[in-house]
Amino acid sequence: MLKLLKEIFRTGEATHKYPFAPIEVAKDFRGKPEHDAAQCIACAACAIACPANAITIETDLAAGTRTWEIMFGRCIFCGRCEEVCPTAAIKLSPDFELAVGRKEDLIQSAVFDLAECPSCRRYFAPAKEVAYATEILAEAVSSPEIRADIRRHVATCPECKRKADVEQLVRAGLGRNVEVQR
Amino acid sequence: MNVINEVRVGLATLAALRSKMPHAILEERWQTDAQVTVTVKLDALPEAVRILYFEHDGWLSTMVGNDERSLNGHYALYYVLSMEGAEKCHIVIHALVPADSLEFPSVTPKIPAAVWYEREVRDMFGLHPVGLPDERRLVLPDDWPDGLYPLRKDSMDYRFRPEPTTDTETYQFVNDSKVETTVVPLGPLHVTSDEPGHFRLFVDGEDIIDADYRMFYVHRGMEKLAETRMGYNEVTFLADRVCGICGYAHSVAYASSIENALGIVVPERGQAIRAILLEIERLHSHLLNLGLVCHFSGFDSGFMQFFRVREKAMTLAETLTGARKTYGLNLIGGVRRDILAEQKGATVKLVRELRADTERLVDMLVSTANFPGRVTGVGRLDPAIARAHSPVGPTVRGSGHARDTRADHAFSGYKLLSTPVHAETGCDILSRTLVRIAEIYDSVDIIEKLLDVAPPGPIITEDFAYRPHRFALGFTEAPRGEDMHWSMTGDNQKLYRWRCRASTYNNWPVLRHMLRGNTVSDAPLIVGSIDPCYSCTDRVTLVDVRKERSVTVPYKEIERYGRERTHSPLK
Repeated sequence: MLKLLKEIFRTGEATHKYPFAPIEVAKDFRGKPEHDAAQCIACAACAIACPANAITIETDLAAGTRTWEIMFGRCIFCGRCEEVCPTAAIKLSPDFELAVGRKEDLIQSAVFDLAECPSCRRYFAPAKEVAYATEILAEAVSSPEIRADIRRHVATCPECKRKADVEQLVRAGLGRNVEVQR
Repeated sequence: MNVINEVRVGLATLAALRSKMPHAILEERWQTDAQVTVTVKLDALPEAVRILYFEHDGWLSTMVGNDERSLNGHYALYYVLSMEGAEKCHIVIHALVPADSLEFPSVTPKIPAAVWYEREVRDMFGLHPVGLPDERRLVLPDDWPDGLYPLRKDSMDYRFRPEPTTDTETYQFVNDSKVETTVVPLGPLHVTSDEPGHFRLFVDGEDIIDADYRMFYVHRGMEKLAETRMGYNEVTFLADRVCGICGYAHSVAYASSIENALGIVVPERGQAIRAILLEIERLHSHLLNLGLVCHFSGFDSGFMQFFRVREKAMTLAETLTGARKTYGLNLIGGVRRDILAEQKGATVKLVRELRADTERLVDMLVSTANFPGRVTGVGRLDPAIARAHSPVGPTVRGSGHARDTRADHAFSGYKLLSTPVHAETGCDILSRTLVRIAEIYDSVDIIEKLLDVAPPGPIITEDFAYRPHRFALGFTEAPRGEDMHWSMTGDNQKLYRWRCRASTYNNWPVLRHMLRGNTVSDAPLIVGSIDPCYSCTDRVTLVDVRKERSVTVPYKEIERYGRERTHSPLK
């Protein structure tokens, strides 16, 4: 009993004033993910990595938009989104006070435009992602002709690319050679 | 390629098994140097498991059922034995069950430890263990339709839950007492309880004659979920959430099962960090249990003090992982966050404080006059019963069996040091509590030691590719005992099968024996001493075997009676 009393006096006040005074969290605390839509290219890497399906991507080919959405109610604050993001568009903040009065307030979303394929005029990928890929690939070469080639190539949708490839093969007469060898 | 450069452990045991059953063994496959899967003829299954269990110091760690019809046309059973004799290794006895007869000889008559596993495989795969003494459902609800087996590959979409077939509870609670008793069926779910579970204590006056319980009301279907819609890395985060207290242990066990299956070598620093975090988890879990022991024995000031000190373990977790729980740090191949010099300093300082605080509190607890009297000789787990049922963790160590996965099958960072094992021979609540106290000090030592010896270098490797249908075990020693995971990779970037066995699963079956012969007021303390997720025992039905009447007592009331020991709810 005496030992307990001693321990109690030794401890003094063990509680914090929180929520009436702010409470400090550790450095590199994993709190609410903050999304920077300006930086985001809507590539969906985060949606694939998210173990809890908190981040989802909805692509509307008719309207030409892609909607990125996070539901904080599902988020487990693992930070995989931050880890896999190629453009550092999402970062975990130290903010842990996420309670809201209405469920809808837990959802945050951003809408991105899709790029149109110049040959078939159909939407196929987010415009920002296409631009991002174009810049990276074009930077790698010095010749302006090849650069223009790359730009055209990246801007084309995969289906048209395949068609163009086949047509090129036919033009080069490769098809016949393949047949002969068989 | 699996790295098999060292000498394989377990060869002598296997040779002994072969000499006993020369024609039964069909194939042996090594997953790691100390992990082998031995395929036996189905008829020889019980005898092979028995020989390893009783003649070579084997303990039943888990049993895995697997629907392998798309691979080889059969169902498969894997009885995992943790060999703790001269050769410490894992031997898995594997047998194929024909998809047309669906029958296999039950191992339970020879080894009681297999009972829950065989009941579960019966529920989940529809396999029929011939000779199983207890054929009640274990995992599936009583109103689940017959003939629908959730873990069969062709059975159901994981989002689909069939309509209940009946509105009434049909589960029969077992009572081994000789007198006829009245059993009152009682809806197991209650809006105010966190986790449902139903206890029936069969009592004579104040004495518990027998006990039975029904669990799995909140089975979350995690194995099916992982197999149907998650990738390998995503499952590590799901494994975290198996438990709210010792989740990291599951995450490490799962990740290492895949790493063992694919022969991935995790960098040593990553392994050391895993072990450090596992010990932090043990600190907070054991301090929680010490607090609860205080609470259930009516010593609430002690409970508050232990929880105050436990907060230091939570701070440790926050410093090292960025969250108060050690969640979300694993990927296949290593860990995601390094321990920097600054954090190392803070950790050493905190664990030393924590050690000093705990020493003072433990001193206070054992010198509190009525505490030792309240827990000594109560909730006795007989060593022979423990041997037959393979319980794990402090529960088995309190009954004189010094088994600890960290020492027996050193994994992760535990390979870098030798882990002491504490066993007590009192077999009672006091012994289990003393084991936990000793382990708190060990954890502090291990953390300090590992911070020192952890070599610099990478913490994760990405130098591997997934290959289909490889399988292996992964294991950890969680605060409550060994966690055992078995994974088989699939051919679609998803698991073909994930079997996750939490430590408390092995401890529930012996609880019945621990309750017998004690008084009703000891029940909460006894249940608390296996340290289950406590809210699992939300209410208790008391059946008086002599007066042939039963009373249902809200859990809070039983708990109050255990603490105050006045105003018996039976009167």
